[in-house]
Amino acid sequence: MQEDDRPGLSVRLDAVTKIYFVSGEELPAIRGITLSIDKGEALAVVGSSGSGKSTLLHLSGLLDRPTTGAVFYGDRRVDHLPASDRAVLRNRSVGFVFQNFQLIPRTTAIENVEMPLLYRGVSARERRERARELLTSVGMGDRERHFSSQLSGGQQQRVAIARALAASPGLLLADEPTGNLDSRSASSVLELLLGIQERSRMTLVLVTHDAEVARFATRTVRVRDGLLEGS
Amino acid sequence: MLLVFLGLKALLRNPYRSILTSLGIVIGVLSVIVLVSIGLGAKALVLQSIQNLGPNLLVVIPGSVTDSGAQVGGGTDTTLTVDDAQAIREDCPDVWNASGALRTAAQVQSPQSNWSTVILGAEPNYLPVRDWHLAHGGFFGPEEEASAARVAVLGRLVASRLFGLSNPVGKFIQINHSPFRVIGILSSKGQSPMGMNQDDMVVIPLSTLQSQIMGVTYVGVILAAAGSPDRVDDAKREIRDLLRLRHHIPPGGRPDFDIQALSDIARTANRLSLILTVLLALIASISLFVGGIGILNIMLVSVRERTREIGIRMAIGARPRDILLQFLTESAALSFFGGLAGGVFGILSILAIRSFLGWPAPIPWEGSLLTVAGATILGILFGLYPAWRASRLDPMEALRYE
Repeated sequence: MQEDDRPGLSVRLDAVTKIYFVSGEELPAIRGITLSIDKGEALAVVGSSGSGKSTLLHLSGLLDRPTTGAVFYGDRRVDHLPASDRAVLRNRSVGFVFQNFQLIPRTTAIENVEMPLLYRGVSARERRERARELLTSVGMGDRERHFSSQLSGGQQQRVAIARALAASPGLLLADEPTGNLDSRSASSVLELLLGIQERSRMTLVLVTHDAEVARFATRTVRVRDGLLEGS
Repeated sequence: MLLVFLGLKALLRNPYRSILTSLGIVIGVLSVIVLVSIGLGAKALVLQSIQNLGPNLLVVIPGSVTDSGAQVGGGTDTTLTVDDAQAIREDCPDVWNASGALRTAAQVQSPQSNWSTVILGAEPNYLPVRDWHLAHGGFFGPEEEASAARVAVLGRLVASRLFGLSNPVGKFIQINHSPFRVIGILSSKGQSPMGMNQDDMVVIPLSTLQSQIMGVTYVGVILAAAGSPDRVDDAKREIRDLLRLRHHIPPGGRPDFDIQALSDIARTANRLSLILTVLLALIASISLFVGGIGILNIMLVSVRERTREIGIRMAIGARPRDILLQFLTESAALSFFGGLAGGVFGILSILAIRSFLGWPAPIPWEGSLLTVAGATILGILFGLYPAWRASRLDPMEALRYE
């Protein structure tokens, strides 16, 4: 990855397709998308459910591999790397925020936030300090010993955001981050996400079906039936 | 190191399941250690009683005996005599001493009590041949033997049964209603390899037993002691040649006696108890193996149950090998701590067996360590497949798993 002075990570999807095979049948989720996401951009990906927008996000975050096509981080092709190298890239360069929070059950808020740093081999004390800082910055400083089951949806999503930021990634990927929240917590979580993006200038990709949410983004792309609809 | 810690933490999150899972290993290790200890105890017991009989001892028994050993005293033929014993004593250079002996069962009475026991008729040199000593009093000599005197030397157990704590030397007992004067008490000798309590007997002169109680002229057995353990084989050959000559056995003919060296019996007994120990350990290993399968089962369930957790961990940067190590640590810890607990309980059980059953079970320290190590390796082996499956999960599918 080439570094320049801007902190974010640029991502390029080059003619990617993703075809799932379910009991011998081909189910194309992405039919061929080429998309460049610039550094520091806040990109909204909108589309109805089943349009392939989440798959697009997962391909960008190396959680999944395209059936054809390539994914580049900066100038480096990354989709064909072995699982272990992709894990390291996810750990260092990507932060995920999911619709259903995906906190680890029976684990405290602070342990969740520390986890990316754990896989990076950061010392226990440094992990704790950094996690505490992040929890405070998302307004969860007083809840660090709470288990995820003891937190409301909005609070869980705040913890998840803190976890996504723990490794200081260049790319933050949010998959319907407000989808499971009531409107009040939804707007505060959204504010939080966009505020973070604005301050840190990291690249943000926000998948949503909500046009209101998309309004906050610097750019919006629409996915329909696995294809990009204008840009 | 951190990931090892992670695995341990997951176990603590589910303490009851962890304890129940390792219970199989606990029981497996416990049974291996205890059964091996019991086997070793059996071996020690056999060797000790053989040592008690004297390692130099040769036993000549009459009658044709199949060659599988352990039939000492079984011969019912009446071809051996006191003269044979004397000839062995005098003509076999590698025999240091020998004594004929004959036994019967009889009721023995003291003024206070009575006891059913073994009456052993022996020659005066019986004690040195058996490497046996007196606790009190004396033994009978050639005069008593020659005159078939009614004197008796009591075994430890018989003395206490008949006379309690008082000293019986000089008092009279009745054997088959004939009075015998007690002249000595034997020191305690314990069990013979054939399981007989050697303290439960009364020794009287051989001639007295033959002529006054049984009315026979043969001896049941001739015990011969070789000069030293390495002369046992020579002594055995000399006795055989001598007796064949005396009994007029033609060359190649089947002898009417059999000679067994205690060292042969010791070898056989040693081999048998080794087989016993190995067999017990094998049986116990099966339970250890079953414990390992328990771990395999629980780890598979655990991986399935935590599929989403694995997906999350992968999404935030856990490499396949991080996941592998985490689950492997869990199964290794389950089996290691289970094994450790099994080792501790096993050693406690051995101590209990020793104090409550009086079995001389040694604590097999090395074996215990080996078993605990083996259990840990077993746990890692059985944890390998579930951990591998966890590490090969697709992060995307794992995240979607409900």
